Amino acid sequence: MSTLKTTLTGYTGYRGREGHYAFLLHRITGLGTVLFLVIHIIDIALVYLSPKGFLDVVALYQTTLFGIGEIALVFCVFFHGINGLRIAYFDMFKPANWSIETERNSTRITLIATLILWLPATFFMARNILIHNYGLFGG
Amino acid sequence: MEIRLRVFRFQPEKDQRPRYDVFTIETDPTERILDLLEYVRGDVDGSLAFRRSCAHGVCGSDAMRINGRNLLACKVLVKDLGTSEITVEPLLGLRVIKDLIVDMGPFLEHYKSVMPYFINDDIPADGKEFLQSPEQRARFDDTTKCIMCAACTTSCPSFWSNTEYVGPAAIVNAHRFIFDSRDTGAAKRLEVLNEQFGVWRCRTAFNCTEACPREIKITQAIAEVKQVLTSGKLE
Repeated sequence: MSTLKTTLTGYTGYRGREGHYAFLLHRITGLGTVLFLVIHIIDIALVYLSPKGFLDVVALYQTTLFGIGEIALVFCVFFHGINGLRIAYFDMFKPANWSIETERNSTRITLIATLILWLPATFFMARNILIHNYGLFGG
Repeated sequence: MEIRLRVFRFQPEKDQRPRYDVFTIETDPTERILDLLEYVRGDVDGSLAFRRSCAHGVCGSDAMRINGRNLLACKVLVKDLGTSEITVEPLLGLRVIKDLIVDMGPFLEHYKSVMPYFINDDIPADGKEFLQSPEQRARFDDTTKCIMCAACTTSCPSFWSNTEYVGPAAIVNAHRFIFDSRDTGAAKRLEVLNEQFGVWRCRTAFNCTEACPREIKITQAIAEVKQVLTSGKLE
């Protein structure tokens, strides 16, 4: 079995617990954030390279599809950041926290904290999309 | 109760690709998965290959993926799985030799690389033995429990991605000697673990700790080795 196949089989087929899914989500949210950063660097570069192109890109960002993407991006940033802090704190300062009970609970708390931060942001961002793209709420 | 046992089958000498054989078995909920495999091999299909030795969770021979999770077949009862559909597959990340038997060679090479033996060429102060307090002994007690079943290493996403990673089991066995107050080989082991495919490949997915049949706090042991490497202090 090739390494890639083994990895994908393990990622998708291994029935791990909270840590396994936190690891997968950390990877996915990390990739999501990196993808955004690449796009962001390119669009900012357009200010110098092609001002007209920059305006087109900004218009593209205001579409509903990109609005939804930005909401997903906020989730990626919050989860990746909070989970990263959890891992760094445990690994660097509190190795004893790597017990099954503490690890499972801390993973759940990480997800809850992410949702607490993300849901209000989602509310405002979704509201903006509905106001500006669909004329709802007096827009 | 009646269960459906799906078993991964692969015989390199005649199979192009793996397949799953299904065996319907009437069994008791308190039977172990190993008992089911023994029944299949003894009464249904004698060509089924799997490892077993003590059958009591001590030797670590029968680690395998049971319903997608690394477990010892001799320690899991049918009722523990909470389902009548049971899938048994070989450990992931090691080459399948036949059916449920994997090539443990790479795993054992990593184990050897951390020098998992006592190193001290000094003469004891009393000329007889190296003394150790109960507290000093307790420091590495947890990591003495490893039975080398490979359930941890083959549940690790970093190992799936790159089998050059030394893996949790080797780090656990290094930890056992690094923190032994009588041992003098810590620097050599830490050098190995500080390399590219050493301890820093750990991504704290925690599958290893969850999979360990001896309940060793593996991720904690790995973090402690990381701390020694960053602080330079062996405490």
